[in-house]
Amino acid sequence: MALEQIIGRYVTIEVQGRKNRIYFEEAGSGQPVLCFHTAGADSRQWRHILNDPELTKAYRFIAPDMPWHGKSLPPEGFHEEEYLLTTEAYMETVLKLVKALTLENPIYAGCSMGGRIALQLALKTPDPFKGFIAIEASDFQPAWYDIDWFHRPDAHGGEMGAALVSANIAPQSPEAERWNTQWMFMQSGPGVFRGDLSFYTQDDSLVGQLGRIDTGARPVHLMVGTYDMTCTPEDAKRTADAIPGASLAVMDGIGHFPMSENPDVFRPYFVDALAKMG
Amino acid sequence: MQTASLRARFEEMGTALTQKPHLKRLGQLFSETVLIEVDDQQIYLYFHRGLLERVEEGPSSKIPWRFVLRVDGEALDAFWHPMPAPRFHDIFGFVKTGRGRIDGDILTLVKNLRFFKEFMALGRQKEAA
Repeated sequence: MALEQIIGRYVTIEVQGRKNRIYFEEAGSGQPVLCFHTAGADSRQWRHILNDPELTKAYRFIAPDMPWHGKSLPPEGFHEEEYLLTTEAYMETVLKLVKALTLENPIYAGCSMGGRIALQLALKTPDPFKGFIAIEASDFQPAWYDIDWFHRPDAHGGEMGAALVSANIAPQSPEAERWNTQWMFMQSGPGVFRGDLSFYTQDDSLVGQLGRIDTGARPVHLMVGTYDMTCTPEDAKRTADAIPGASLAVMDGIGHFPMSENPDVFRPYFVDALAKMG
Repeated sequence: MQTASLRARFEEMGTALTQKPHLKRLGQLFSETVLIEVDDQQIYLYFHRGLLERVEEGPSSKIPWRFVLRVDGEALDAFWHPMPAPRFHDIFGFVKTGRGRIDGDILTLVKNLRFFKEFMALGRQKEAA
């Protein structure tokens, strides 16, 4: 039985004045690449990239679980509060991790809400980063569903969430990986997917601001799957067109969770994205 | 597709459902009547504890239903294609593209979403066979 090269560790950082014990997985050495997961899931979405023997020769991939997600516990006192992620808390989490892990000039890669934050970081706090890979990302996506479905006392939010997000997975993706991808949503803590979607579907602060992103020093590359119904190729193109100098790759036959649902299709696009970071 | 053909398709899907023990387990609390409207055709699906007990042709103003899936015939055919194109690969694609609507007690649908989606995809399996 082969032992995987992924190593998991914990680090405690302060976000919005509260201590958060963050779990992260890493593999490889060289240029650091922070890899952030989608709403309602965790760092396991990046498992194939972190287990890639070739890519990890040149890159150190670091995939954290956001607070409340995966193996990162919620902050103390969570049991009496409503989890609602904000752009500010997300950005602070990323920046504190860069500092805590003493990462020099990391590439930031994020998918879905993680991709949205790539654009926010590129706009507002680009300095610590070498470049940004925004996957299944757009400036704004209003909900086409009722986010309150996913946190109710009379139903299993995780199972409902997984059944909903299956709409964003391509039918061509291997069956085992399609279900691995959905399992993370099934496991998500109560109210976490809803709290992520609250930020993702309501914060429109990037609208009208994308033209201010400076891609001269720090490249911005967007990627989108043709089977993504949440961030469609049209949404990604609209966003890329609004960022001077940004590039866009449309990935055929893949959906909203490309690195997790179909690693073989995703890999060449991601290799190209990394190359664009310089 | 004629109404009789559509009804036969759903009856075949009901038969296929009996061969899916995991769907019977997932649908064990799903005992509802669902209306399917395809263009101007109406089909009533009577589910009982994860099985499709019977299929009736409409129209009828006397049959209560829990939720309704309305879709145009071309879009449903595309959904049932063995390898559906983007946005025709999921019932919510009908809604997102304006090719269909889902009305009624949506919460009941969402609580049983995996069951209902996999049931609807059984028409696709038949075509692929």
